[in-house]
Amino acid sequence: MPPRLNCSAGSSIGRAVQRTTSSSTTTITTRVPVLVAQNLNKLVSSQYATVTRQIGGLRLPDDYVPPTQPPTARRPELRKAQMLRTYTALLRSTPLMLFFQHNNLTAVEWSAVRRELRAALAAVPAPTAGPDGTAPVDIASSIDLVVLRTRIFNVAYKIVDFFDPKAQVDKSNAYTHDLSKTAYETIRSADIDESSTYGQISPLLIGPVAAVTFPVVSPAHLAAVLKVLAPSAPAFAPPTRKKNPGYYDPVAQSGFQKLILIGGRVENKAFDYDGLKWVGGIEGGLDGLRAQLVSLLQNAGLGLTTALEGHSKGLWLALEGRRTQLEEEANGGKKEEGEAAAAAAAETS
Amino acid sequence: MITRFITEVKTKFNPFSMRSRATRLFLSYLPPNARNQGMQITTKLLPRTSTEPNSLVVKFKDGKTMDLNGEVLGIKGIIEEVDRHSRALQKQADLSDG
Repeated sequence: MPPRLNCSAGSSIGRAVQRTTSSSTTTITTRVPVLVAQNLNKLVSSQYATVTRQIGGLRLPDDYVPPTQPPTARRPELRKAQMLRTYTALLRSTPLMLFFQHNNLTAVEWSAVRRELRAALAAVPAPTAGPDGTAPVDIASSIDLVVLRTRIFNVAYKIVDFFDPKAQVDKSNAYTHDLSKTAYETIRSADIDESSTYGQISPLLIGPVAAVTFPVVSPAHLAAVLKVLAPSAPAFAPPTRKKNPGYYDPVAQSGFQKLILIGGRVENKAFDYDGLKWVGGIEGGLDGLRAQLVSLLQNAGLGLTTALEGHSKGLWLALEGRRTQLEEEANGGKKEEGEAAAAAAAETS
Repeated sequence: MITRFITEVKTKFNPFSMRSRATRLFLSYLPPNARNQGMQITTKLLPRTSTEPNSLVVKFKDGKTMDLNGEVLGIKGIIEEVDRHSRALQKQADLSDG
């Protein structure tokens, strides 16, 4: 492969090292990796015997690219390290995720599925103003259908579940970021069983998996997604042909048939399809659920007191009824006497 | 995997159980145009707490029905069994065509 830049490797290394030594006037205590210097020496001595400069002990800049390295055609966000960080950020910031198995969907089918999903989410009515009067954020644009790389996603999930960065602060020689050796050692020594969410969800992450991620637990949006991607009558019926003819497009239909909803993760707990249908069926969102809980608690108290007092109340009511009846009789008797007396008085007068 | 001679695939599995791994992977081996070429693929998901064993039923063009146990065979075993019968059918088809 011809070199990328037409210059000699040795001179470019020398120039790069010179740049670092001249610019390193600020005292930053970085540990100079000894291996870099050693490798550099080996490289210099074995391949570029023409270089006579003394390079041992000095450091190359971190963004140094050897001129013989061809430019990369791979997108930087697909590098494993970057992907791991993306997945840990995703797991920490999305409380609701649906996992689908996707079986050999073609690119056309993917685009048809995403088109229908976007149309269905756009049709979800935006909620009214929040409790503090501000207009709520529209989350429909941030709901994504992402294909996951399960090997890296597994590692990311283990890190999120078992590695606690706050506990590492006090220890010596321990790092707190997700890519550190500390994180690796922690997840390697962690015992994974059914009690952790990772242990419950790891059987789902087999084979080709895609995920729909929601930034907020919103039952309305979840219901919309279930209606499109995993419909089931009667609660989550698919859109009708009249209202949404694009849904019944054969490409879109074959795409939907290849997607199987296998489970979900809601607020770090594993849910299966029935559980997700329950979450999607909550009306009024989380506030509605809280209101239902409050009314349930109130009614429960009321029902208990009613049951306890029922007997005595019944007795009181019966006696009251009898008393009013007796009073009426007495009044009726008096009235009759009064009427009789008035009638008699009227007759005599 | 030779899929030209398969007419129907019926699966039933519990996705939360590790034992249904082979059944799920078999579904991913079916080609993207399988449904267009007439293969019927039905999947039934068992609820998380069910203990019903997972099942995979494959029907071929000559009418043979194969009931495969993913737990015992594994994905390689399943593909081997299906391919064995498909190769026999392919030989017959080659002989009858040529």
